[in-house]
Amino acid sequence: MTPLDSLVISAAPRTGFAPMQRVRAEIMKIRTTNTWWMFSIGIVLVTAEALLRNGVSHHYDLHPALAGLDPADKAQALATAARAHTHAGQAAIASNMMTSGQFLGVLFAMLIGVLVVTNEYSHQTATATYLANPRRGTVIVAKFIAAACFGALFWLVSTLIDVIVTPIYLHSQQLGVSLADWAVVRSVLLNLLAFIMWAIFGLGLGTLIRSQLGSVITGIAAYLLGTAAVAVIFELIYNAYHHTWVQGAIVIAPAVASLVMTTPGQAFDRAPPQWTGLIIMIGYTLLFGTIGVQLTRRRDI
Amino acid sequence: MGSLMLVLLLLLIIGSIVWYTRNHKARQEEPPSMGGTDPALPPLISGKGVRSATPRPAFDGQIVVSGLTKRYNGVTAVDDLSFVVRPGRVTGFLGPNGAGKTTTLRMILGLAAPTAGTATIGGICYIDLPEPLRHVGGLLETSAAHRGRTGRNHLRIICQSVGIPLERADEVLELVGLTPAGRRTFKGYSLGMRQRLGIAAALIGDPRVLILDEPANGLDPDGIRWMRDLLKALAADGRTVLVSSHLLAEMQQLADDLVIIAAGRLVAQGTVDSVLDSMAHSARVLVRISDAEKLTAACGEDAVVVTRENGDLHITGMDATAVGEAAARAGVVVHQLVTERPDLEDVFLELTRGKATIR
Ligand SMILES: Nc1ncnc2c1ncn2[C@@H]1O[C@H](COP(=O)(O)OP(=O)(O)O)[C@@H](O)[C@H]1O
Ligand SMILES: [Mg+2]
Repeated sequence: MTPLDSLVISAAPRTGFAPMQRVRAEIMKIRTTNTWWMFSIGIVLVTAEALLRNGVSHHYDLHPALAGLDPADKAQALATAARAHTHAGQAAIASNMMTSGQFLGVLFAMLIGVLVVTNEYSHQTATATYLANPRRGTVIVAKFIAAACFGALFWLVSTLIDVIVTPIYLHSQQLGVSLADWAVVRSVLLNLLAFIMWAIFGLGLGTLIRSQLGSVITGIAAYLLGTAAVAVIFELIYNAYHHTWVQGAIVIAPAVASLVMTTPGQAFDRAPPQWTGLIIMIGYTLLFGTIGVQLTRRRDI
Repeated sequence: MGSLMLVLLLLLIIGSIVWYTRNHKARQEEPPSMGGTDPALPPLISGKGVRSATPRPAFDGQIVVSGLTKRYNGVTAVDDLSFVVRPGRVTGFLGPNGAGKTTTLRMILGLAAPTAGTATIGGICYIDLPEPLRHVGGLLETSAAHRGRTGRNHLRIICQSVGIPLERADEVLELVGLTPAGRRTFKGYSLGMRQRLGIAAALIGDPRVLILDEPANGLDPDGIRWMRDLLKALAADGRTVLVSSHLLAEMQQLADDLVIIAAGRLVAQGTVDSVLDSMAHSARVLVRISDAEKLTAACGEDAVVVTRENGDLHITGMDATAVGEAAARAGVVVHQLVTERPDLEDVFLELTRGKATIR
């Protein structure tokens, strides 16, 4: 057999819709490395841990240990327990249980968004990727969609565990609230939104900061430390100017925006309305993504 | 409030899908029809997408580099470079380290933007080619796969990203002799196996044009022979093969045409024979003769005569006819008179001598 005999086989025409194929290729890139199961295990662990912690904490809200408390504390504990037993209180507990794993799960979603881009550079696969699809904007768009899919998938894994454990827990605590309660469903959907938004936020960050370590550290800092730093800065500004909007403006920190976005009603004192959180998350993603696409187009591989 | 946000998000998602789809369709209709001459390739654009009534010339696979220049702050890696690579032949792209070979190939393949000049394949810039992998296969020194991914999956991902059936990955693995290692991860691959995987990736789309940067790097002698046969077969099949290398002896056996650069500039271009002939002035005449001193005296001022230990003479600066006539005038008996053509290595060193190599 000459080397050429097997060369004339690729006559099969392009199958399917090109943008979708690029998205599927991006998903394959993650699925074919150990990132895949490492992150899955991570999601399972953080969800389990959060369920345990939330379950214990709600149990003590519902059934406070009153022995040894002084009268004032006792009264407060009883009031909390009474509130927890109302319909709204039960819905809040169910919502909280059903979104267990959000705090760290969302961090995983952001990290996978970062990896979807930065892996190309840290493993030098960018050459193969851009030879196959030299229009780099189309590749980045496919990566955005893939990152959103990963965010949604992580949410699904986390929510599946929650939906198994929560009814058992509610039953054990003799709470009659239904998981179909709109307050609960709304929390679960907002949780989905948070997973997706953080995944594409991570992707935008990755296009901006090509170094894997650089964008991972920046992302984690934005999520964990950023809030505290921004809170301090805004507190200082507030002390100087005493405009109440300053306290609300803290929402420009991504982590605060996410908190505002996922909390029905007031996330904290003077918190701006819920939709501002969403707008700010989308704003960051679009900003990073746009700058990132422009940079990616110009930069040499 | 929550429902309002969900509606907003939904609108955003639908909006972006619509935008993406429309953008994609528009792009599909843009590029000129390049109705394939290769019966193995399906028409690139389905009938309904083609608007232009006069068909464009078919994709001929000729690479044209014109005035190509790339400056990195301070360093001119490629300097006003122009050459043409013809289909049906293996073209060797030669130059010492740092000559700008890789940079040139990256610009041809749309991975780096030229400071000036253009590079086209079949008259079209790489990034404007519809389905480029079906026309051009590229291998660069930076081509790599994820360390934790198998070679086979690396190829399947490329297939997936351009809509080629995933089974093609197994075919090209077989073609480069990598089937047994296909299910092992890239980090365990030797340099030679990595090169083979890169070549497999370049062959995925059954391309008319192959552009390979130092493909022989890391291959063992068997591998080098295998590659030579493969590239020659591909060229004989009418494909364009552009191969960069610093292994000169290998090039002399492989290439039909040569493009030689040094310090980013073109120094020679043409068929291997014409490049060697252009250096004919450095050809040596070997003479075995009865009286060396008489002949040396008979040779003109221009000739450089070196006497070897066994008494033979090496003469440069005169051709064999002139040496024969000089011998006749001097009345000496000539036992042997041979013209020794320079080999590629000599020519290459001669052409690139004195040019700053590592910049
Ligand atoms: N990304 C870059 N930034 C700065 N200088 C570069 C870059 N890439 C290549 N060069 C320079 O350009 C010159 C040509 O490099 P290259 O094309 O890799 O040569 P070759 O492949 O012929 O060995 C070298 O002097 C190199 O230092
Ligand atoms: Mg090189």
